[in-house]
Parts: sequence; C-alpha cells; structure tokens
Amino acid sequence: MPDPSSEIIYQLKNVARVRQSNGYAFSLRVPSLRIQRGEKIALIGESGCGKSTLLDMLAFILRPTDMDGFSFHADGANAVDIGAAWKKRRRNQLAGLRKKHLGYVMQTGGLLPFLNVHDNINLSRRMLGMKDDGTVQTLARELGLSRHLHKLPSALSTGERQRVAIGRALAHRPAIVIADEPTASVDPFAAEKIMSLFIGMVEEMNITVIVASHAWRHIKQLGLRRLAHHTRKSPDGRMTETVVSG
Amino acid sequence: MLRQKRQILSLASRDYFHEWQISICFVLALAAVLGPMMVLFGLKFGIVGSMIEELVEDPLKREIRPVGSGHYDRVWMDKLRKRDDVAFIVPRVRSIASSLSVQSEASSRILHLEVIPSASGDPLLDASLAAPVGMDRVVLSASAARKLMVSAGDELQGSLVRTWRGRKERVVLPLKVVAIAPATAFKRDGLFASVMLVEALEDYRDGHAVPSMGWQGTAVTTERSYTGFRLYARSIYDVAALEDSFIRSGIEVRTQAADIETVRRMDNTLSAIYWAIALIGLGGFSLSLGASLWANVDRKRKELSVLRLVGFRTGEIVLFPLLQGVYTAVFGWGLACGIYLAAAWSINAMLAPQLERAQKVCRLLPEHYLIALGITLGAALLAALLAGMRAARVEPSEGLREL
Ligand SMILES: Nc1ncnc2c1ncn2[C@@H]1O[C@H](COP(=O)(O)OP(=O)(O)OP(=O)(O)O)[C@@H](O)[C@H]1O
Ligand SMILES: [Mg+2]
Repeated sequence: MPDPSSEIIYQLKNVARVRQSNGYAFSLRVPSLRIQRGEKIALIGESGCGKSTLLDMLAFILRPTDMDGFSFHADGANAVDIGAAWKKRRRNQLAGLRKKHLGYVMQTGGLLPFLNVHDNINLSRRMLGMKDDGTVQTLARELGLSRHLHKLPSALSTGERQRVAIGRALAHRPAIVIADEPTASVDPFAAEKIMSLFIGMVEEMNITVIVASHAWRHIKQLGLRRLAHHTRKSPDGRMTETVVSG
Repeated sequence: MLRQKRQILSLASRDYFHEWQISICFVLALAAVLGPMMVLFGLKFGIVGSMIEELVEDPLKREIRPVGSGHYDRVWMDKLRKRDDVAFIVPRVRSIASSLSVQSEASSRILHLEVIPSASGDPLLDASLAAPVGMDRVVLSASAARKLMVSAGDELQGSLVRTWRGRKERVVLPLKVVAIAPATAFKRDGLFASVMLVEALEDYRDGHAVPSMGWQGTAVTTERSYTGFRLYARSIYDVAALEDSFIRSGIEVRTQAADIETVRRMDNTLSAIYWAIALIGLGGFSLSLGASLWANVDRKRKELSVLRLVGFRTGEIVLFPLLQGVYTAVFGWGLACGIYLAAAWSINAMLAPQLERAQKVCRLLPEHYLIALGITLGAALLAALLAGMRAARVEPSEGLREL
C-alpha cells in the first residue's frame, strides 16, 4: 500500500477569483496549494474573507477567473485538468467528478425539500446506482437521525438538517468531503458535537476533508491542518484581497 | 445515464406532487384560459357547422329548376347526367299530363296526386328505401300516404281519364307503394314514379298507344321531347357554376345560390372573427403558460442547483422543469376539457328547444381536443425548455447561495 501522504489530490497554481459589485472588489488568490489524500484541512477566517469562494472552486461549482494550473487527481493515477474543463465549458465532466468523488456540506440548507431524510441521504448513492446495503441506516444511526428517516426536511431542526447534509455528503463514500461551516447555524455546544462527529466519521472512512470554520480552538483539538491565509484591504476600502497558501 | 434520467424524472414528479397546492394553481391558471377558448371554438364550429350541414343535407338547396317550359331531348339530358357536378337528373313532362287520381282500400277518398318523375338516387327520397321502378312501383309523399292511409307494401289503384276521338275513356292502373318519402322532401300530395310510367301517362293522355300496358291509341311515340327536368347539383358549392353554365346556354333557371352565398359569407365572417379572437387568445394563453412555467423554474433555481451540485448533467437537469411542464399541460388540458364539456352541455341543453333533432350549437370533434393538447404541450415544453436551459447555465454556486 503506497504511503497515502505522498498522494496528491488537488494541485493549484495561481488560481484566483475576482468578484465585483457596486464598485467594491474582492479577490481570492491562491499562488500555490497542494492537498494530499487523507489530509484534514481547516480553513479558518473571519466572515467575508473568502472561505466559501475557495471551497466552491475546489468543488468545481465556481469558475476561477484566472488559473495557471488546477489539476485534480481523483484516483491517484489520472489527473484531470480542471482549468481546461472550465475553459472548454465541459460542465458535464465537472458534474461527473462531483458525483463520483465529492461530498459537499453546505453552510445552510442544500437539502431537497420534497425528499424525506432517507431519500436525501441516499441521493448520490442512487445516482451512482449503489445497492441499498444499509449504509443509509448506519449513517443515520451514527448521526442520531434514525427516528427521522421518513420526515421531510421542513419537519427537522436546523441541527438535524445539518446532520442530514453531512449524511448525504458521506453516503456514497466520496474521496473528498468539503464542508462549508457545517455548524454555523447551530449553538456552540451542538456545533462542537456535530463537528466532532463529522471529523470522527471522515477519519474512520479515510476520506480527505476540507472544512471551513470560524472557530479554531475546537478544530485544533480535532487535529486538522490549518491553511494559512492573509487578508488585506486597500486604503480606500474598495479592494479586499485574500491570499491563501498551503 | 438512463438511471440518472429516470431518477431526475422521479424527483421532478415528487417535487410536483409535494408542492401540490402550487401545482394546482398552475393547472387552474392554464385551464382558465384554455377552457373558454375551447368553448369559443366549439360554438363557432357548432353554429357554422350545423348551418353548412343543413345546407349540404337539404337537397332542395341543390336543386336547379328551369323557368317555364322548354324542349329538351334525351341526348341533351344524358350529356348533363354525365357531368361531375350533376348528382341527379330526370326529365319532366307537361304538367297537365303529370297527375293521377289514386284510391286506396283503406280510405274511400280519391286523391289527385302530382306525379313526379324519379329514379333510384333521387335526392328527395331516402337512399336506404326502395326507389320507384317500372310501371307499378311508386313512392308516395308523406302527406299523400297519410291521406290515403297506406304504408310501404300496400296496393293502390290509379285511374286515368282521356277524351279520345270524341269519347271519354278511362283505364285503371294497379300500383304498389314501395316506400314513403321523408316528410321534409315533398310537402304536397305527390307520387314519385319512374320516368317510364310518367311517359306512359303522357302518351295515354295524348292519345298515343302504350303497348306495354295494352292501351290503345295512335302510333307509338318515338321522338320524345321533354318540357323540363329535375336536376340536383352534386353539392351546394356546384350550384353557382351550374347556374352560370345554364344561363350561358340560354336556359333560365332558378336556384338557391343566393341563400348559399349568404351562409358562406357568414361562415367566412364568423371564421375571421373567430380566428382574430383565437389568435389573441392563443397569444395570451402561450404567454401566460410560458410566464408561469418560467417563473416556476426561477423559483426552483436553488433545488436545481442542488441537483447540479450532486452531479446531474445539464441534459438531465432540463428534464426536471420539462416533466413538470408536461404535468401542468396535461392536467390543465384535462381540466379545460372538463370545463368545455360542462359549458357545451349546458349551452346545448339550454338551446335544445330551438334546435332540430341532432343539431348542436357547441361541439368539437375528437381531433380538436388533440389539437388543443398539442398546442398546450408545445407551448409548455418550449417555455420549460428555455427556462430549464437558463437554469442549467447558472453557475451552481450562484444558485446554491441564493437567499
Ligand atoms: N455573488 C457575489 N458577487 C459579488 N461579490 C461576492 C459574491 N459572493 C461573495 N462576494 C464577496 O466575496 C467575499 C467573500 O465571500 P465568501 O462567501 O467567500 O466569504 P466567507 O469567507 O465564506 O464568509 P462567511 O464566513 O460569512 O461565509 C465577500 O466579501 C463577499 O462580499
Ligand atoms: Mg461562507
């Protein structure tokens, strides 16, 4: 078995996203970033510093405005050139990568309101044609959702919905799970519990995880690598730039 | 990828029925526009349709009759008979010669009947009943049959009188009623007879011999000339042209061409009015359906982005609003048909007393329902397709972070 720490999953070189509105500009630059298989990455920073922007690019749902190199190594051997896929508008290729290799836990919501908890968790598994082998039930038990399997999301508390979202991101055993402040909308006590549960589960499944959060103290205890970043504002306050490296 | 297509279709159905209240609103909105349009079309089709039908079905409207009496020979008649726009023609003889006194066993009355030359295919007679043939098989008009108290199959006795070489003579003619003409065909007391019989009656009155009946007289007629004819055009649309051709050859005729023209002009006017309303209605209908489906897709941007996030392809995402559009179109059309049927039933029931038996003021043919479905589906699919493509183009991250 090869040393997992030597296997690179993401390799980014000079990737940037610029966002503009009403004369204010925000730019996120990543001069260089490598993420290896099995790593647990934390992205910590104040609100508005660009965490969601980076995660969305890593999940292939936001197009970088500039990129020198952006490759994704889904299963070790073959690298996929994400930059080229964006430039050639191969949306379906990116969709295929997300379906197979990614799980995404959104900051809020992201569940389908017309599917019950079981079917929401099972969504990606069904897409991939995976057999009903009790994974959904097991996940639900671990997440404390067994009682709620046949409820619609509208009948759940915010924390329960967040746990359903975690279940859906993990159910098809993706190589990578990206979580954008999965506990932002629940109280600090519940947040710690959910985060510990989440990190424990990805560790057990040996899934690479990238999680954004604003609470570092707790994340540190869970043994995540923190991505360094630096935010600066122009003197007139019209330009904000965040530079991420790691 | 078939699995994912099936999955997205099932998701679209789940969503549609999960949001049943909103779905019902869309269906109602569609039916509220389509239903009245169908009623409108049903009225136009029913009113003009039954007017035209009445014209087409009424043989009197197709009749072309010469004014006054002329001299027509058999060759000329045969030539007319061969024309495509002529449905039926038989010669007429002098009107004083074409009457007969008739008596039946059931009634003691002696009735003077007008004798009408006829043959099989006579538009005035019911095509499914027997036609007059030979020297004894005749058809009675409804009023004559009632007065003589006879029905099909009964025997009659005709009697024929002439003054010949200064003496009054009378022959008896046994007749058999093979059918009764429809009451609408001929209102007076009449007897439809074969041309052969009509000619024999004329010959007897003129003092000629009729060997086939054993009637004595002067030499048998060879060169026969007719004073008129009974002619029916193939359809009401041929009447005007036939009239023209008679006038050109110097024969004055009387037709119902003016009546026919009035109805046709009315049909054209009604059709123009209808199409104006229909086009405006159709435009409004397509716009309202398109707008509601478009708005629906916009409302669903977030859900569609979630589907995009978990990896559905563009072509599959588009199926989602497309299927929901189909549901709205089909249910809305079904409801509109219901509205139409209820409205048509009440309109027809309300006006029934003023109408003839099978006439309907408001009616549609099965193909009209299908055309309505086709237009609805077309508009729905187009709107859903355009909106769906737009939704699929949005960067998933934008849609996901929508408030
Ligand atoms: N659609 C957009 N158009 C223009 N600017 C945007 C858009 N979305 C985000 N921004 C800007 O980009 C910056 C980074 O946003 P981002 O959502 O990445 O922040 P974040 O770190 O995730 O914040 P939070 O912790 O509050 O979620 C913000 O300053 C925001 O104003
Ligand atoms: Mg964020």
